[in-house]
Amino acid sequence: MTASLEVKNLTKSYQRKGQPPFVAVKDLSFEVRPGEIFGLLGPNGAGKSTTINCLTGFYPPTHGEVLIEGFNIHRDPKKAKQHLGVCSQEDTLDTDFDVLDQMLRYGTFYRMNHFEIVKRARLLLETLGLMEKSNELIENLSGGMRRKLQVARALISNPKVLVLDEPTTGLDPDARRTLWQLLTENRKQGMATLLSTHYMEEAERLCDRIAILFEGKVLDLDSPENLIKKYIGTEIIEEEIRPGVIWKRNPNLEDVFLKLTGKSLSSGDSE
Amino acid sequence: MRPLWAKFEEAFWPIRCVWLRYLHVYLKNWVYGLVTTFVEPLLYLVSFGYGLGSMIGSVEANGISVSYRQFVFAGFVAQSCLFQGFFEAAYGSFVRMYYQKIFKAMASTPITLSEVLWGELLWDATKGTLSACAILLLGSLSGDLSPWGSLMAVPLCFLGALLFSSLGLWMAALSQTIEQISYPQYLLVFPMFLFCGVYFPLETLPETLQTLASFLPLTALLSLIRWLTLDFPFQIQALAVFIFWLVLMVFISRDTMSRRLVK
Repeated sequence: MTASLEVKNLTKSYQRKGQPPFVAVKDLSFEVRPGEIFGLLGPNGAGKSTTINCLTGFYPPTHGEVLIEGFNIHRDPKKAKQHLGVCSQEDTLDTDFDVLDQMLRYGTFYRMNHFEIVKRARLLLETLGLMEKSNELIENLSGGMRRKLQVARALISNPKVLVLDEPTTGLDPDARRTLWQLLTENRKQGMATLLSTHYMEEAERLCDRIAILFEGKVLDLDSPENLIKKYIGTEIIEEEIRPGVIWKRNPNLEDVFLKLTGKSLSSGDSE
Repeated sequence: MRPLWAKFEEAFWPIRCVWLRYLHVYLKNWVYGLVTTFVEPLLYLVSFGYGLGSMIGSVEANGISVSYRQFVFAGFVAQSCLFQGFFEAAYGSFVRMYYQKIFKAMASTPITLSEVLWGELLWDATKGTLSACAILLLGSLSGDLSPWGSLMAVPLCFLGALLFSSLGLWMAALSQTIEQISYPQYLLVFPMFLFCGVYFPLETLPETLQTLASFLPLTALLSLIRWLTLDFPFQIQALAVFIFWLVLMVFISRDTMSRRLVK
């Protein structure tokens, strides 16, 4: 099956005054197939956001290439981005518009016709529980609603490739589950999703395959189950969580990450 | 082979999309839009044109004698291009780039960052032109400015507003905080507004200042507007200076903003 998103030998370095360039991402290669949810797992500063900025076409790579549905995003950005939806880590909602207008405006950027945009926008707002807020200004939405709206906006064109950079940060458990459900539905429709997260539960639950990223390099790439089996095994782990209180649990991706890097997923400086 | 208009439409459609986004916001708050676009230049016009103008009588500049009201009417046309273009682009684009981050959001769609920046500049220039057109219209109706000249000055005003919008965008791209935009505002925009010949003929300034002012873009724009609307002599140097600044500013502003956003 042809990959929807292909990243080939991607390297990105930043120039620094009076210092050698800082290499944020080193020789990264992976692909995301239709219907697959692919996770980029790593702590802050691992190179996740740099990778995402490169593969959404915003930053030019130092080496390598990114193909969306076969189109090189840096050489043929219009054709590539026609198939791409992006929800970036930072809040990029257009605060000059209300919820529905925001969706409609962004739909026009994909040259969709008006009726198609309205139908799609209403469906997405309904699914994400934002329909009641459709005439509200962005500033009146809670943090979680803003995040959901940003995901909804990324989906307005029904893209073949969806890139989500920490989409569930700041979401309450209920909203997080709604979003997971939406991603699962999209997967059934054949949408390829790249999910950057530092929530191991999310990664384990949603991702078919995961690349563990650390200091710009992929340490390993496999399914969550295989990664856990390979590095930790299947035995129950016993932890003393408080003096005298022993907690028995299954091994998880956090254990894998600790074993591979010596650091926890929540550590590190922000990028 | 596709017809030329199809290629043209494909190239300009994304820029039009961005421009329409600004127009949509402007029309949503049309009362605010009208007040911020038209009130300031009209207040200057009434105060200086009719107030001070009735006391001063006529002035002589470039060998032509005109009433002071005519002189400042044409001056305020250029001033609107400067103020509306610069302030909308400098503060507005800083907010859109730094706080709202919508340049990045729009550039995540099939619209490229280059097209987003073109849309931004063209909208800022549109706002400046609207403001300048209000004064041109008033000047034509009152008989102070040549109606045909005023009509011909509209494209020139658009280019002038584009020049000052580019200056504003450049300053936004260079500023680390929104407060830093005050430096070019006080050290460049206000001095230009005061010493480039909006209120008085340049000939009244010391020669060194005259020479310095003649290389500034507002002086060049003023000279061209007064040529069209008041039959002042055409100055080829003004046209050259104007084109030089226009090309330089458009290029440098887009390049600096792109470098700031794309690492």
